[in-house]
Amino acid sequence: MKAAADFQTVVEMTRSIPCAPAILPKLLKLTEGTSSDLGELEMLISLDTGLATNVLRTANSAYFANAQRCESIADAILRLGSKTLYRIAASTLTGRWLVHPVRGYGWEPGDLCKHSLCVAICAETFAKSMHLADPSTAYTAGLIHDLGKFALAYANFSVLDDIASRVPDEFGTWREAEMAILGYDSMDVTKALLENWGFPSTFVSVGYYYSAPSGAPEQDKMLVTLIHAAKHLATQLGYGVGVDGFYSNPDESALKDAGFREDEMDAAIPDILTAIQRFIRADGSVHFT
Amino acid sequence: MVKAPQFVDDHMRTIIVGVADFKFTTDPSVCLATYALGSCLGITFHDETRRIGGLLHAMLPTAQLHKEQKIRETMFLDTGIPKALNTLVRAGAKKQDIRCKVFGGAQLMATDNFFRIGSKNIDMFYKISQELELDVVAWEVSGRINRTIKLNNQTGEVIVKIPTKPEFLR
Repeated sequence: MKAAADFQTVVEMTRSIPCAPAILPKLLKLTEGTSSDLGELEMLISLDTGLATNVLRTANSAYFANAQRCESIADAILRLGSKTLYRIAASTLTGRWLVHPVRGYGWEPGDLCKHSLCVAICAETFAKSMHLADPSTAYTAGLIHDLGKFALAYANFSVLDDIASRVPDEFGTWREAEMAILGYDSMDVTKALLENWGFPSTFVSVGYYYSAPSGAPEQDKMLVTLIHAAKHLATQLGYGVGVDGFYSNPDESALKDAGFREDEMDAAIPDILTAIQRFIRADGSVHFT
Repeated sequence: MVKAPQFVDDHMRTIIVGVADFKFTTDPSVCLATYALGSCLGITFHDETRRIGGLLHAMLPTAQLHKEQKIRETMFLDTGIPKALNTLVRAGAKKQDIRCKVFGGAQLMATDNFFRIGSKNIDMFYKISQELELDVVAWEVSGRINRTIKLNNQTGEVIVKIPTKPEFLR
């Protein structure tokens, strides 16, 4: 078994996040002309967790950043321009990792992208209906909320098999098991990744606190709770959920404080499903047209 | 009882059933499959005599909450199950010969007020199965796992796949 506590190795291995191959031709076509359709480009990039991450990270890097942080894909596109976008897309997509199933969470290839897309759509829906956060920010936060899990799975620690075998008999939740066995959990990894990449602190809070939003900084609590709610609803829908998915505790106190009600969340599901099925086919493939 | 999978011939065609969807077949060489049943329920229907099978992937217990909306009947158990039965009978199945198996209904960890779709779905299915006198021969529900299922219309057997575990038949 590999060493369990190799936190820095996990973080350093995650230099890019995989993207779905289907969007590359369309993305390149959109970025090669001089009259790119900004809205279409934004939608395309936003559908892919890895690409959205890289675009935002680059836009907020020391080279491109100015006093104003980019918190939306649209802002990042405007800041970067089509040539840089092309470069990011090509390098990200050719360096993809999705050709191999990642280990540790029982995922099939592409599962994290599917699940993150569902969380993003749920978050956007709740943001619009409850006015808890800007819908675009909520969508982006949903896309990037669980990057640490992919990093852990990509690092391919066989110790993750050990975790899988000890939940729920020895540990009630996956988070408890990761902390006890690894010495850190996937949210620590997400936080480190987002900080290293220069993400705004709001997104770092989402990545670090989404499983227990009551502990989030006051200024970020609404968005973090929104992602917490979206995460659990998306888990129930099943798309891309790994073996860990149902082993987490809902934070009822935070949900109530934010004004969530079960009947209203359930009532939103038909519309959420319709939105999800625009992008995810019955066979589980993600499509972007 | 769990048996070793010896389930689908390579030449068998598989029809995929999406979320909030129902499909059926009268072709014995066809399988019906649905992916990633979280808290949703996947219900297989099979008339072994006539080799008519159906699969419903319903997401929510009742359409009553959604009266104001244009609904998909197959999204809800209380509208989807009657629709599935009617469709199968119209296709030639005899209701008294249809055997049902039910899968899914995964539940999040203990919560009194949120995210109870899995348990609500199971309760609703039980109620409807009593009302409609369904012959339910297998229950593979609840727990904290995602399930993928595949109905073999030749045999009525269902293969169940869950993350990190070997497949098994019900």
